[in-house]
Amino acid sequence: MHELNLATEIHRTCRATIDARGGGRLDVARVAIGELAAVEPELLVYAWEAVVAAGADAGARLEVEWHPARQTCPKCGEVKDREAGIWLRLCPECGRPLRVEGGDELDVIELSYTADGEEQAT
Amino acid sequence: MTQVDVRQRILSDNAAAATTLRERFAASRTLVLNLVSSPGSGKTTLLEATVRALAGRLRLGAIEGDIATERDADRLRALGIPAHQILTGGSCHLDARQVRGALEAHDLGPLDVLFIENVGNLVCPTSYDLGEDFKVALLSVTEGEDKPFKYPSIFAKAEVTVVTKADLLPYVSFRLDDVRAQVAALRPAGTLLVTSATTGRGIGEWCALLEQRLAAKRAAGA
Repeated sequence: MHELNLATEIHRTCRATIDARGGGRLDVARVAIGELAAVEPELLVYAWEAVVAAGADAGARLEVEWHPARQTCPKCGEVKDREAGIWLRLCPECGRPLRVEGGDELDVIELSYTADGEEQAT
Repeated sequence: MTQVDVRQRILSDNAAAATTLRERFAASRTLVLNLVSSPGSGKTTLLEATVRALAGRLRLGAIEGDIATERDADRLRALGIPAHQILTGGSCHLDARQVRGALEAHDLGPLDVLFIENVGNLVCPTSYDLGEDFKVALLSVTEGEDKPFKYPSIFAKAEVTVVTKADLLPYVSFRLDDVRAQVAALRPAGTLLVTSATTGRGIGEWCALLEQRLAAKRAAGA
């Protein structure tokens, strides 16, 4: 259950970004999570809600962009028919060992915020 | 509303601490392993067998991560190697900042190989770089043969998978070939070793791997 730690780090990164631009209230944080990052997106969102609940960013949303890992065959190219959570032992076409690519994303991509004073101005 | 491109790793503070550690281990020419497995799969027992096998040949040390008790560090200190216990107090993984803090507070002396034994957990430690040269995943035969595909992250990230308690193979349903196929699918270039600390099976291979990797690191850094 390290999602709480990750949620705290996401919020810290967002706060640092907003404060460096003069301050404001976080509206949406968008993160990329890979299939091999050992993170459960649903739990990450629950943890996020707990992290932001008490502060000035209460209600800020966390959007999770999910990035599956790809198993590719060096001979046949990408293997596309893998279902989520199912791993292939060998290439179904030629029986060769597959390569695993991607899926280790664990990034804050972008955020949206309302700058201090912006709401009063509009 | 203003939109900002952030493009930053979520664990950037941990990554920065891991970079500091990696530089420190490069300077001290120490090979560092991050051992990850479920609780009770035999991480400390493998280390005990390793210490016995390499006694007098390599200077070994350990950092032990546990939620509570100094028991693991005590077991290794009893064999004469420096060991420091990090008590995480409930946290499910070690963070690079904890390892850095531990090494600043407790100098383990000059080491050839440092083992960082993570908190027993096949999931959470996967995401945290501790400045190690490589991760080692342990899987005991009593845990069942389906684990690599059920916990793909750690078996994809571990350069070496060590199957432990192989002396129990006659008593459990654990098809080694199936485990080999799963690990190979997740980490095609990885190494899989089959060991038993009880009979000594595979301990020689494991120690040879450590010596080879240490020599390779030192040759690359020379």
